[in-house]
Amino acid sequence: MPDHKDITPPELTKDRGSLHPINHMKDFIMELLTSFGFEIIDGPEIETEEFNFDMLNIKKSHPARQMHDTFYVENKSNLLRTHTSPVQIRGMLEKKPPLAFISGGKVYRKDDDATHLPMFHQVEGIYVNENVNFAQLKDLIYKIIYSLFGDDVELRFRPSYFPFTEPSAEVDILSKEGKWLEILGCGLVNPIVLENCNIDSKKYSGLAFGLGIERIAMLKHGVIDIREFYKSNLDFLSQFK
Amino acid sequence: MKIAFRHLVQHIKESPSIEHMSNKLFQLGHEHEIDGDIFDMEFTPNRGDCLSINGLLRDLAVFYTVDLNQEIYNEKLNELELDFENLSENTCPNISFLKLEIDHLPETYKNSLDNYFTDLGLSKNNFFTDVSNYLSYETGQPTHCYDARTISGKLLFHEIERDEEFETLLNKKITLTGKNSVFSLNDNIINLAGVVGGKSTSCSSNTKTVIVECAFFQPEAIIGKSVKYDIQSEASHKFERGVDPECHDKVLRRFINLVSDHAIIKDMSIVSYKSKENPIHQIPVNVKKINQIIGFNISEKQYINYLSKLGFVVEEGLIKVPSFRSDIKTQNDLAEEAARAIGYDNIAISKINIPNNERTNHKAIENKLRFFLLDNGFYEVINSPFVSLSSEGAIKVDNPLDSNREYLRTNITNSLVENLLFNERRQKDSIKLFEISDVYSSSNGINKKRKLSVIASGRVGENYKDFSKKINKQYLAVLFQKILPNEAFDVKILSRELLDTKIKNEIVSLEVDINSFSADTLSYTEVSQSPERFAQYSPISDLPSSIKDISYSIKDYSKTQQLQDLLLNYQSDIIKNIYIFDYFENEKQEEIKIGFRFTFQSKKVTLNSAEIELVYNDIVDKSLNINGISIPGL
Repeated sequence: MPDHKDITPPELTKDRGSLHPINHMKDFIMELLTSFGFEIIDGPEIETEEFNFDMLNIKKSHPARQMHDTFYVENKSNLLRTHTSPVQIRGMLEKKPPLAFISGGKVYRKDDDATHLPMFHQVEGIYVNENVNFAQLKDLIYKIIYSLFGDDVELRFRPSYFPFTEPSAEVDILSKEGKWLEILGCGLVNPIVLENCNIDSKKYSGLAFGLGIERIAMLKHGVIDIREFYKSNLDFLSQFK
Repeated sequence: MKIAFRHLVQHIKESPSIEHMSNKLFQLGHEHEIDGDIFDMEFTPNRGDCLSINGLLRDLAVFYTVDLNQEIYNEKLNELELDFENLSENTCPNISFLKLEIDHLPETYKNSLDNYFTDLGLSKNNFFTDVSNYLSYETGQPTHCYDARTISGKLLFHEIERDEEFETLLNKKITLTGKNSVFSLNDNIINLAGVVGGKSTSCSSNTKTVIVECAFFQPEAIIGKSVKYDIQSEASHKFERGVDPECHDKVLRRFINLVSDHAIIKDMSIVSYKSKENPIHQIPVNVKKINQIIGFNISEKQYINYLSKLGFVVEEGLIKVPSFRSDIKTQNDLAEEAARAIGYDNIAISKINIPNNERTNHKAIENKLRFFLLDNGFYEVINSPFVSLSSEGAIKVDNPLDSNREYLRTNITNSLVENLLFNERRQKDSIKLFEISDVYSSSNGINKKRKLSVIASGRVGENYKDFSKKINKQYLAVLFQKILPNEAFDVKILSRELLDTKIKNEIVSLEVDINSFSADTLSYTEVSQSPERFAQYSPISDLPSSIKDISYSIKDYSKTQQLQDLLLNYQSDIIKNIYIFDYFENEKQEEIKIGFRFTFQSKKVTLNSAEIELVYNDIVDKSLNINGISIPGL
């Protein structure tokens, strides 16, 4: 018979939980951007129209301000921020250039279908200094995309439109299936926005960018249906240890 | 907006392929998909000027030689006598009316009018409306056609702010509410300006005399109306994005030309109202600034060449912005024009060096808490803040998606209870969840708290040491004492009385304000790290699962590891989870008892007992092939 002392009980597989894949992706991107020199700042999810729209050169007539696109609260005195950009406005009002901020978190838009949720996550960044230009923005975007998707990924810049950047661009990557997938929006900070934040736009220029976390998490993890992230299903969550 | 490739290419001397043109459209920022020979365009909201054949050709002219070759009626026109008054000139500073009478209605269409309907597979309506729709496609300027027989009396353009019934030409009855810009005839509303005309004055298949309205409406007056009244309106889509205020004469003369291609015009007259001139916007030529913005080195000659091709007039050091480009106001706007012409992808990168900021340990406390909970088997969840029921201080959403999402939650725990029940319904018997989130309430202003909420129920863990232990109040209290030994925690037992469940396990929860802790008081060194790789997700099954336990008796201790290796690595499409739930060494009987739990679930079908038995029997057979192992009772 075997010697009892030789027996080792089975390895005790201590259950570990998991970070939510959206928070994990957000943390990963924030960590990456801080390694580039950005400072993390936070701001409220309940915002004023002034910070969410006016300061960002989003005119009263812009469709995004309509009741069918934005959630308003407390008799329209406030709203649920539609992007994390107002955090950067608050940051620019507090500090003088050169400045480089990122902010990440929940944002809200009045959508609810198979591809859009009323709550989703963004990480946005802004860098303001003397002589910041579009060619430098491209360098930064290449660094971000290569860090996320590898150095061999093919990407393209397309002209786009955001009221708070000019010129504006959207960036696509080429999927393995040969399809272009939109990854982020970016541009040079509209001088009107700098002036709104008491920054001399003749002396300083800035670049800004924003990424939708769900979109990137879906691509990186191979999740097809965005709604899976928010069902809190343990079979789903346990795959992201 | 759908635009046929051949409607574009017929005006381009170089006759590019559809792929070549597609690449150039992307370079210009005009996103699209190609369906056969049709471009399905998606324009950015600042480029209302591109919502037409001519608009797109104006942009493509930066790469190609474009000849519009669209004939217009050039003769002098009589003045139309119309009893019209504009009471809202700020909303509609320019408006023209053209009256046409034709001898007969054409049975077939010719040339570009025919191609428009054929190539895009569109349904015809009536002659004048068809011409109007085509003209909007060609020029970008919507026009509205009234049957002239119905226009008698005083025609007014004005703003109303009262509830009013209105029947559209699409036979849809709507109630106008709030402020609306309308046309009225003898005090009856006949047109919701810039959105849709009314039934009472619309053209029909026998209309031979038409009054064509061609107007510029301020986008602010039109935005949101089509959504508000649930009306599909191409006109409002264009007016919302801004049309060319200076194009009316040319557009109406083109209207005459198109009509004259199909019928003899017996009579025609025109009247225009313009309350103010549109000043030409001028921006100084400053190529140095353009190069500073882009980080490029474009010559002044090349820069001006690009702008000229795009319709800008450069004279005496000033760039005159064409009336159709209301989006161009600053040097940055012009830099984007130059960058589009160069191609964003053709602009070489320039190395960026962001001065390093001092790295702060952002959210150190909550990250420590997160990893502590992870190490103890908790899963992080994220919930929507919208809830159906109000609670003390809850913030009401003015325009909720539905009545189930009218308020913002004032606690996280209720969301976690929903998550817990969701997982219990999926036969999970060990549930440990947490969420960290801002929670808002209203009391003398908006208050924000950063909260951690934890919920747990069922088995402590899925291993042989924790399998028989049930989560209780003590479990959670002891757990948090480990990381915050000097704090007292108000762990709650949540009643299942009002919950839709038959499960009896105790539910324990804890919700705390994270800002009440300081990093110094957290005594924990996390074991877990953020995953270095991004796990590939495997679709999950919502089909029912079944559990099977197998308990073994091992007399030959040396075979224990062999059994574990066999079972814990057993592969089957219908086995979701395997773990050791029991382990006991009976020294007296010189025997090891070890139990394995198998969870069976298919991703495709609900499993029947025969399918489960098949795999179960295979497991049993393979394990019993190991000498010195038995399954008591088998």
